[in-house]
Amino acid sequence: MRILIVEDEPTLQAQLAEALAAAGYVADRADNGVDAHFLGDSEPYDAVILDLGLPRMDGITVLRKWRAAGRTMPVLILTARDGWHEKVAGIDAGADDYLTKPFHMEELLARLRALIRRAGGHASAELACGPLLLDTRNSRATVDGQALSLTSHEYRVLSYLMHHPGEVISRSDLVEHIYAQDFDRDSNTVEVFIARLRKKLPPDMIETVRGLGYRLAVPGGKE
Amino acid sequence: MSPWRTSLRSRLVVGTLCCVIATVAIAGWALGRLFREHVAAQFHAELRTHLDQLTANIALDADGRPLLTLPLTDPRLSRPYSGCYWQVDGFGQGEGLKGQLRSRSLWDHVLSVPQDKPADGEIHQHRIAGPDGQMLGMVERTIHIDDAADGKSRSFRLIAAADETQMTEPVERFHGVLWLSLGVLVAGLALAVLMQVVVGLAPLGKLRRGLERIGKGEAQRIEGDYPAEIAPLVDEFNSVLEQNAAVVERARTQAGNLAHALKTPLSILANSTSGLDDPLARTVREQVAGARRQIDYHLARAQAAANRLPGTRTALAPVIDGLMRAMHRLHAEQALDLAVQPMADNPCFHGEVQDLQEMLGNLLENACKWARHRVEVNAGVAGGELWITIDDDGKGLPAAQRSAVLQRGVRADEQVPGSGLGLAIVSDLAQLYGGSVSLEDSPLGGLRARLTLPAAP
Repeated sequence: MRILIVEDEPTLQAQLAEALAAAGYVADRADNGVDAHFLGDSEPYDAVILDLGLPRMDGITVLRKWRAAGRTMPVLILTARDGWHEKVAGIDAGADDYLTKPFHMEELLARLRALIRRAGGHASAELACGPLLLDTRNSRATVDGQALSLTSHEYRVLSYLMHHPGEVISRSDLVEHIYAQDFDRDSNTVEVFIARLRKKLPPDMIETVRGLGYRLAVPGGKE
Repeated sequence: MSPWRTSLRSRLVVGTLCCVIATVAIAGWALGRLFREHVAAQFHAELRTHLDQLTANIALDADGRPLLTLPLTDPRLSRPYSGCYWQVDGFGQGEGLKGQLRSRSLWDHVLSVPQDKPADGEIHQHRIAGPDGQMLGMVERTIHIDDAADGKSRSFRLIAAADETQMTEPVERFHGVLWLSLGVLVAGLALAVLMQVVVGLAPLGKLRRGLERIGKGEAQRIEGDYPAEIAPLVDEFNSVLEQNAAVVERARTQAGNLAHALKTPLSILANSTSGLDDPLARTVREQVAGARRQIDYHLARAQAAANRLPGTRTALAPVIDGLMRAMHRLHAEQALDLAVQPMADNPCFHGEVQDLQEMLGNLLENACKWARHRVEVNAGVAGGELWITIDDDGKGLPAAQRSAVLQRGVRADEQVPGSGLGLAIVSDLAQLYGGSVSLEDSPLGGLRARLTLPAAP
């Protein structure tokens, strides 16, 4: 899961990035409205954490532009502005959640998880696919109750597949959602992660669709 | 003040009309008097002319009786009962002396005149009854004739009389015309006054309508051009309105900026301690939470405009709709059933939109936080007051704690996230507007918050 952090205070930005990385997300960062708008408009993020008081372009304007351009990723506004007229304006501009500073990092992560889950159409914090169970709250995966030991990259690949069960996911899709923007991407590494995951998962859970990508097999057909 | 004094228009009209009527009445009286005197003078001058002619033409015959040497020139004196008469009486006893010589117009009537004998050279005036019973104006003088055949001097009383209607009729006619034309003049002046007042005071009417529009919240300033006399007033009023809005806006922005400047460092401080559990980390967390409460509370108060100037009017429905959209998003996890009951005749709050959003937002947030399935909003206007109830089907709040949570900084449950000041802020804001908030049992099973605020007229 790839997240965009838009925050102009460098220390807070670093703390957010650290907390997100610890929770198993990849994070890109922007510290002004113009960069934020460009990134959100061109990269496929799974969620955005957006500050409102930004240099160069206000957060609300950035959000309106994304929504006007048809960008539908969940956006969580994280701001010191806590008046209800600002909350209503933020929600009406297209935000999916609104958290005011100072905040508890745990609460931010919980809300972010919920946003990503709802965006994928999942009602529960636990994603299930046959014997495979993924608890998004603590980033743990189990098969028939047995915990899987996963590296962070393996977890990201599995998490992305679990959020889109039954769908064909191209290799480049996976690359975009498991690496940050400035990472030296190599789509061959995806094959390595898939191969490792297949060894840890029950056989045939991850199908290869020739020429297109991968698909997480759903027992009993598509969900 | 009596009703006519309360209106500038009626003061001007009544004042001017009083002057006009008084002036015209005096002028009418003076003109009438002048004309009457003039006609009376003319009337008596004519009588004297007759008297002089009579004096000049009278002589004695051989028997010592008076006779006219020449007839008098005025033809009316020879037409019977024409209204112009003369008569010559001799002095002494006996009817034979009265009317010894009379104008033909008297026919067989003898004028009966009061007992009088003017001294030589004097002319006396009397009013006497005429042949038809009408009143006659009369002049008389005494003459002595010495050149009688018998050598004795004889005295006579010469009388010229005329019908007074010859004098009163023109005066009456003149009065009729005079008062009619003066009446027309007054009516014309009254019309002119009315027009002047209506045209002259029209800008004031426009100003009043402009103020009414502001009062109803339809306009933010007084629009339009005004005459030089009241333009400074209008400009001044507009700038006061604008300044007021600007001051409120600036105070809000500054308070918001301060909060923003403080809250980000607080976030960093709190996050630096995350995952640590030593005494320092705990102290930092506690103090950050305390600082946050203080900021929230004082920021909410500083940003409250509590603006009850005429013209601050906020429709309730759009505010509730906006907040409901926000609640749906913010509480999407709970999948609550949020219902707003239809409101009769578009209730409006007499105050500032952001203050209303703040109060309702906090109450709705609280209801959504505790509700199990349903939150319901009702609102209406009763007796100049706007009431809003927000019900939830949560676990409710014991009666003993209800007044406590409306006090500053008290939280019923420290476990549920939130600054714990929401209800206290609502209570403070409502009081600034002269309203109130109370907590009751809800028919839905949980808590009902009832907010009472001034309604916009």
